[in-house]
Amino acid sequence: MTSLVTARNVSKHFGSVRAVDNVSFEIEKGRILGLIGPNGAGKTTLLKAMLGLTDCDGDLSVIGLDPFRQRKQLMREICFIADVAVLPRWIKVSQLLDYVEAVHPNFSRSRAEELLRQTKVQSGAKVKELSKGMVTQLHLAIIMSIDAKLLVLDEPTLGLDILFRKEFYANLLTDYFDEERTILITTHQVEEIENLLTDIMFINDGKILLDSTMEALGERYVELMTSGENAQKARGLGPVSESEMFGKSVMLFEGVSREHLEGLGELHIPSVADLFVAKIKEARK
Amino acid sequence: MIGHYIALIRRELWEHRSIFVTPIAIASIVTLGTLTALVFVGDFQRELNLAIFGAQNVAGETERKAVLTGLFLGSSWLFLLGLGVLTVFYALDSLYAERKDKSILFWRSLPVTDAETVISKLLTALVVIPAVAMIGIMATHLVNLVVTSIWVSSKGGDAGMLIWGSVSFLDNWLAMIIVLFAISIWMSPFVGWFLFVSAWTKRSPLLMAFLPLVLIPMIEGIFLRSAHFAEAVWGRAAMIPIFAGIDMERFFDDDNPMQSAAQMPEDMVNLLSHLAPGKFFASIDVWIGLVVCGLLTTAAIYVRRYRDES
Repeated sequence: MTSLVTARNVSKHFGSVRAVDNVSFEIEKGRILGLIGPNGAGKTTLLKAMLGLTDCDGDLSVIGLDPFRQRKQLMREICFIADVAVLPRWIKVSQLLDYVEAVHPNFSRSRAEELLRQTKVQSGAKVKELSKGMVTQLHLAIIMSIDAKLLVLDEPTLGLDILFRKEFYANLLTDYFDEERTILITTHQVEEIENLLTDIMFINDGKILLDSTMEALGERYVELMTSGENAQKARGLGPVSESEMFGKSVMLFEGVSREHLEGLGELHIPSVADLFVAKIKEARK
Repeated sequence: MIGHYIALIRRELWEHRSIFVTPIAIASIVTLGTLTALVFVGDFQRELNLAIFGAQNVAGETERKAVLTGLFLGSSWLFLLGLGVLTVFYALDSLYAERKDKSILFWRSLPVTDAETVISKLLTALVVIPAVAMIGIMATHLVNLVVTSIWVSSKGGDAGMLIWGSVSFLDNWLAMIIVLFAISIWMSPFVGWFLFVSAWTKRSPLLMAFLPLVLIPMIEGIFLRSAHFAEAVWGRAAMIPIFAGIDMERFFDDDNPMQSAAQMPEDMVNLLSHLAPGKFFASIDVWIGLVVCGLLTTAAIYVRRYRDES
């Protein structure tokens, strides 16, 4: 199979704290994976291990390379935004493009310039003169102009307004993504990206709670909105979680077929956010 | 590979504009000083000045050379001082600023190794900063000669012969290049130390760099009653083995006073004759310094590579 990332028993300890605790997973080529987890779940540590920014135990391979020991080769083929606003403040936009062009064999300057023409970012401006949103536009323009096999976006749209966020994700899908590329996104604004994801992974306390394709998710989980007697019956089927909304009970079921639940109330495909909350609550019990 | 280093060093020059600004500032100060000196001293002591520049032809060619070489050295020492201060601050900032503003995550997202990055900073400190200083020295030299020529001409002297004909450009400049790079190699262990501190410290790199250099000699003095560390560190600048032994007797020989035009020995005004590159490279202390610089630079690379910045 065309696995781009393979992790087997990967762990990372900081003293006695297990930031990443013995995780195994694979990411296939041509997928868009959302990595979702609360703060301190080990998301960033796992990303850093994949990007070769930190060493880890276990076997981790990204496009066939050991990320930590072959970081330079890896960085030719993948690119990432680790956080917003990490561009150096003293540099000029044109200097930044000059530098990336000089050190990155897969960077297309003309494409970056074309993307920047659609923004208010001037090539003679210094990063410190740009607004926060413009800095992110600049960073994203650079990243999107790199012909990479894997694109890692860690909270890429933090601090940006909704118009820009929508536009960014639309561009990502139409202009950037194709079968040859793989995208890994982490964000707190799950609802904005769930429609573009093909795969999803939940992480909490360094462990993977869920690793699934979006298709399988819809088959495996179902949300039931019900009340009264039906609610009692439904509880007998063992919901993963239950909450109250508008005087009705909202229950989430895992692995319970739709036929069993039909007739007990309204059925929905649960949102990723609801599923996430339920999964975290379940894990903390 | 070379392309990477050119891009990396160009990046250093963009970030640290003081590498250019400092020599320009020093050149301006020196030129202003020359102008002031010529205007004021010229007004009050017209006779003396004309004599010094040989306008009245009382001095011989060797004396003119000696005076002009002296002026060159006088205008160059400020550059050496500025270069030293600049290099300390540059090296201490070079791996610290990128962590402070978190841009290190961006730099490390590009296909450049930590070794390439740190070595580009070492090369900037040891090669680029002295080279820029040398350009500043040469430019200042030329500007000051032009200014002096105008002055001499205005007093009725023949500037072409008295000034331009008496400057040993090749000797002066080559000697200065040798001195600059000898200092650079000789002081390289300090640059290595500053790079390491810059990569390692969480705060105040200046304090962290100099505190051990002060405390260790104190501790050694108290417990071992010796001063080897202090001599090796603080005495190093004075011990640079680039200068040939200067025969002071010849300067202060009463029977052969320097003022006597006819007997001024030609080699005394030749700067290159006072330098001993052979002795420099034969000195074990030079090589120990380079090894220490290499070890500390390697340590800086490892710190940048292995430290988790989250």
